[in-house]
Amino acid sequence: MIGALICQIVLSIALATIFLFRPSLTSRTGWKIVAFIGLCVLPALCLIGGMNLHVQRSETTRFCTSCHVMVPYGRSLDIDDAAHLPAQHFQNHRVPADKACYSCHADYGIYGPLNDKMRGLTRLYLQYVSTAPDPAAIRIPGGFKNAQCLHCHQGARSFEENPIHTAMMDSLKSEQVSCLGSGCHDAAHDIANLSHQKFWNPGK
Amino acid sequence: MKAPKINSLRLLQISSGTLILGLILEVVTLLWFHPLSFVLFAFVAAALIGLGILIYLAALALVAAPPDRQS
Repeated sequence: MIGALICQIVLSIALATIFLFRPSLTSRTGWKIVAFIGLCVLPALCLIGGMNLHVQRSETTRFCTSCHVMVPYGRSLDIDDAAHLPAQHFQNHRVPADKACYSCHADYGIYGPLNDKMRGLTRLYLQYVSTAPDPAAIRIPGGFKNAQCLHCHQGARSFEENPIHTAMMDSLKSEQVSCLGSGCHDAAHDIANLSHQKFWNPGK
Repeated sequence: MKAPKINSLRLLQISSGTLILGLILEVVTLLWFHPLSFVLFAFVAAALIGLGILIYLAALALVAAPPDRQS
C-alpha cells in the first residue's frame, strides 16, 4: 500500500514540476485538465492516502513502543508470567500482536480516535518540549475503564459463565468495581519490577 | 489606488511549488517510522498540500472571474 501511495506522490510531483516551469501550458484545454488532475485531484488523494496510512501506522505496537517512555511498557509484554495480564493477552494473541497497545487502550467511543490522537500529541509535547514523564509515573487519566475489557469480553462464553464475573456483572458494567484494581487482575505493566522478571523468548 | 494585479500563471507556479514541497515532505514522513513523523505529516506536509490546492483553486477562480470593465 505504501508503494502505491509513493508512486502516486511521485506522479503528482512530476506533474506539479511541469506546471512550476511551464505554467503557460494551461492555456490549452488538454493541459487544463492535466493541471486539474495534477494540482488538485492527485494531491488531494495523496493527502487522504497519507493520513489513512499514518493513522493505521499509529495503531501499531511498533509505533507505540518507538517512543522512549513506552519502551518498558513494550518490554512488559514479554514477561513470562501467566498472571501478568497484558503479557498474556499479547503472547496468546488474545489481542492482535501488531496492535496490542491500541486494542486495550483505544477509546471505543464516537470521538475515541480523536481523543486518542490528542492524548498522543500531548505526550509528544511533554517528551520534546516540556519535561518527559518518568515511565513508571505514567497513569491513564481517569484510570483504566472496564469498558475497554468488556468491549471484547462481554458476551464471550468463558467470561459470562465464570461465576465470579456473573456475581459482579452489574458492578463491572457500571465501573463500580475495576477489573484491574480489585485484586482479580491487578498485574498489569509492572514496569517498576521489570528487572526482576523472567521474559518469554519466542525464538527459544 | 489600484490593487496590484495578481497573475494567474504566477499563482499556478506558487501552487506547484507548495505542492511539491508538501508532497516531498509526505514521502519523508512515510519512510520515517517515528512518532514525530505523524506530527510532521499532520501539521506541515498536510498544511502545505492543502495550501497548494487552495492556491490552485484561487488561480482557477481568477481566470474564471469576469474581466474588469475599467481596464
